[in-house]
Amino acid sequence: MPKVTELAIKRRIALVLLVAVAFLFILALRLVQVQVFQNPRLKEYAFNQRLRPMPVDAKRGTIYDRNMNELAVSVSADAAYAVPADIENPEETARQVAQILDLDYDFVYQRLTKHTASVWLKKRISEEESKALWELDLPGIGIVENPQRFYPNKELAAQVLGIAGIDNQGLEGLEFYYDSYLRGLPGRVVAERDAAGREIPGGIRKYIPPVDGKDIVLTIDQVIQYIAERELAKAVRETNSSKGIVVIMRPSTGEVLAMANWPSFDPNAYQDYPAANRRNYAVTDLYEPGSTFKIITSAVALEEGVTDLERRFYDPGYIVIGKHRIRCWKAGGHGSQSFVEAVENSCNPVFATLGMEIGEEVFYKYIKAFGFGAKTGIDFPGEAVGQVHKPGTIAQVGWANIGFGQGISVSPLQLVTAVSAVANGGVLVQPRLVSKIIGPDGEKVISPEVRRRVISEETSHKMRRILRSVVVNGSGRRADIPGYRVAGKTGTAQIAVGGGYSRSKVVSSFIGFAPFDDPELVCLVALYEPQTAITYGGVLAAPVFQAIVKDVLEYLNVEPYFDQEQALKFTGLARVPNIRNYPVSEAIDILTKAGFKVTVSGEGPIVVDQVPKPVATVQKGTTVILETSLENSEDNMPLGSEENGESLVPNVFGLTIREAAAVLEREGFLLVPKGSGLAVSQSPKAGSVAPRGAKVEVTFADN
Amino acid sequence: MSYQKRVAKNFDFTLLGVVVALVALGLVAVYSATHSRLLEAGSDPFFFLKRQVMWVIIGLVGLGLAVYLDYEVLGKFSKYFYLGMLALLTLVLVTGKLVSGSQSWFRIAGLASFQPSELAKIAVILFLAKYLEGQENLRELRSLVVPFAIVLIPMGLILLQPDLGTAMVFVGILFGMLYIAGANPKHLGGIITAALAVSPLIFFYVLKDYQRNRIIVLINPYSDPVGAGYNVIQSMIAIGSGRLWGKGLFSGSQTQLNFVPEHHTDFIFSVIGEEFGFIGGLFVLAAYFLLLWRGLVVSYTAKDRYGSLVAAGVVSMLFTHVLINIGMNMGIMPVTGIPLPFLSYGGSSLLTNMVGIGLLVNIYGRRHKLRF
Repeated sequence: MPKVTELAIKRRIALVLLVAVAFLFILALRLVQVQVFQNPRLKEYAFNQRLRPMPVDAKRGTIYDRNMNELAVSVSADAAYAVPADIENPEETARQVAQILDLDYDFVYQRLTKHTASVWLKKRISEEESKALWELDLPGIGIVENPQRFYPNKELAAQVLGIAGIDNQGLEGLEFYYDSYLRGLPGRVVAERDAAGREIPGGIRKYIPPVDGKDIVLTIDQVIQYIAERELAKAVRETNSSKGIVVIMRPSTGEVLAMANWPSFDPNAYQDYPAANRRNYAVTDLYEPGSTFKIITSAVALEEGVTDLERRFYDPGYIVIGKHRIRCWKAGGHGSQSFVEAVENSCNPVFATLGMEIGEEVFYKYIKAFGFGAKTGIDFPGEAVGQVHKPGTIAQVGWANIGFGQGISVSPLQLVTAVSAVANGGVLVQPRLVSKIIGPDGEKVISPEVRRRVISEETSHKMRRILRSVVVNGSGRRADIPGYRVAGKTGTAQIAVGGGYSRSKVVSSFIGFAPFDDPELVCLVALYEPQTAITYGGVLAAPVFQAIVKDVLEYLNVEPYFDQEQALKFTGLARVPNIRNYPVSEAIDILTKAGFKVTVSGEGPIVVDQVPKPVATVQKGTTVILETSLENSEDNMPLGSEENGESLVPNVFGLTIREAAAVLEREGFLLVPKGSGLAVSQSPKAGSVAPRGAKVEVTFADN
Repeated sequence: MSYQKRVAKNFDFTLLGVVVALVALGLVAVYSATHSRLLEAGSDPFFFLKRQVMWVIIGLVGLGLAVYLDYEVLGKFSKYFYLGMLALLTLVLVTGKLVSGSQSWFRIAGLASFQPSELAKIAVILFLAKYLEGQENLRELRSLVVPFAIVLIPMGLILLQPDLGTAMVFVGILFGMLYIAGANPKHLGGIITAALAVSPLIFFYVLKDYQRNRIIVLINPYSDPVGAGYNVIQSMIAIGSGRLWGKGLFSGSQTQLNFVPEHHTDFIFSVIGEEFGFIGGLFVLAAYFLLLWRGLVVSYTAKDRYGSLVAAGVVSMLFTHVLINIGMNMGIMPVTGIPLPFLSYGGSSLLTNMVGIGLLVNIYGRRHKLRF
């Protein structure tokens, strides 16, 4: 190995010089880059830093229910902060502050020594803490009023309201969705400051006052919400369900009147509850709707003419589609049944048949039109979309399954919205939670929004009657409310687990509306995984629906409607039959059977008048006085029944066509019936005087 | 002709002129950086300036001594300097004063603080040069063991303080001197490559959190703009806002409002960049170029191997300082807390660099071999 020569060393020294020059050149290039090219950005950063604004929090807007009851308000609370530049003894100060505010010493010390103008130490400090700090009067430690969010009703509508964090920012729910309105604009004291955060005398200085947040008014009614939560909580407890949901919507406008999830939480102390309690499952979660989806299948089948009300089906207890055998829930099947009866029976093979007969293209089109597989557009974050298979992507049996509500996932809100369309005359409305935003410069009213017509008025009308009949005759009996004529459908959907369905895990539900002919509200009750022997929606969910809707409709002052029989049963009243012109013995017979006592006045063979008058409603057991004539003379003609004379039009309300015809005939009138069912109106009106032999037009309708 | 006369005759005025210019600029910059804060605190606005002037005087004495004494004599005693310095470095770990988390300082009679690791650089340069002078052949990898040991021992003690920046200067000195001494460049390159290869291990297992942060911040200072990245961002804002001519002396808003921490010491370049602009920055770079150039000329023309190696050591030391410090001021080197030679406030550093310049002047003055 040769020794390094003198020359080689000299070359190396020269090389080192070159390397040094190269490095210096790199530094010079960097200098050019920093000073010339990065300049505008850095300059702005530098300027903003000197004008470091101190934020002044805006008051967060209030959330009201539809009747202007406060659901979320901002109240003042004290907050402790530090100005590190002014702290004299960080160790000692940190020790004292940590003790008073119950904070970690290292945390406080680190904040007190931070390179910043001011830092929060703790927000929402108690009065005692505030007082203790104030008395110590430590240099560099300050207390300011800082608004704090308060939810006066605790868990009421908690998942809908969501929560707001300590920095006045909405984190979840409506607090999050409407954050930009609620938050307002923080004010600022802008002052040019030096690095230690001290104001520069004579520097730029400005005060920009905060703009308070806007208030929002919900469509939710706190009383309805309370009723829903009360009944739901009770049901979840009694059935040992894992959770439960109630959604109540006004079908004509899409206004959500109540949206309840149980178990719930107290947003004032949300950290104390599992995060799952904070979810608004009604909007953000999906489930398979099961039989409640048959409402949709029925509506589509009627609209498309696949079936009419009278079409007959035969159910042997199963249906075979390809290699699949779909069984009816009833062993042995329902046998021969009309379409309406099939809905009443919730017969799966019939709906599987309908699902296929409608055809995948058409079915898919309607499912989408009803709003499934897409966001409803409700003003709430994190809406679930749900899965709807496209035509051609699943086997034929898949569409049969969808016919009875399996193999499709929907959010509870989507189902409520779709059923609202069925109930409201056929239009899909946009569901919403907020009706008004109130700012200092006025109100912004959010009006109902119709998205599209899905089915015809006529189909909607038919569907209302079918679903009424499900409650009257079918599986939904326990949902009915005397006077409020409920319509609806039960559902007991198995929960999809892995690739199949769980036998034991079901969602027991009922969706319905009332009154059926002009729905005031649509309500869904769903109980998840009830731990009871019988889990049918008709058994578990329908009574919850009944309890809720009864109280809600009474609260809303919806006039109860009683048909004749119901009225009699319900009130102990009875209608006095018209026995004028009857032979006395026959009249006594009729009255006694109807539960009246009878006194006969006069000796005649024929009843000429009666007190009380016919069709009057009186207590059962009332004595009816019959006036008789000795002979059938001109003088003794029944009151107002002169030949060619006039007569009092009797009341036929609530009578069947046959009964009405008999009553009218007896008085000398002619019945002109319209429709079928029970009499709901008549013309001329009862009690008016009309010429004998006149036509009385009576409208009959199904209840 | 006496040594002294010869030194006077061959005096390198460029070198001294550059040093005087840098020191003068440093005094102005230190005053600019500190007076507003001192005034505000109700202290003497000239406090730091006066101290620095005192250290300039001490530094000039050190420079004079380094010129006056024959460097060959210094070489003879270098072993004792080295051992004494190791003792001091050990002592400072035990009894030293803690400043910014590092135990690097001696307090002298309540008057001034002194950092032994600064003068340790000179001791290492002198001793390493003495050792390498006698090594005819450094081509073997084996032959690098002793030079490495000479440098790594004091470096290890400094890392214990801990003072990563100063330790890195030792690495610069070691590699600079070994290269000039004739070590195989492949070996040196190989060692650097190996060091880089194990650096991830060091990064995750050896470095302290704050040191790790500084490297992360180097890659993205905005990752922690109010913590570890603060200095760099503030420094770059200062430099960047200076533009071509600067905002003028005492007119830099970043400097006067004290946005750059440590801007009278490690971040003095940001003061110059803001108040004297691109021209000021370029002037500083040019001055260091002259310094390095003259230093390497000294090494090139030295009359013996020892002088050449000492000069190479001093140049390596100064260059490492300049590269790391200006680099970190502009965000391309990690923040390692080492001063900018002749400009930064700080006595030990100034004295060390002055002594280093003295050695260069000394060697240059004696560059002609005696002819009898």
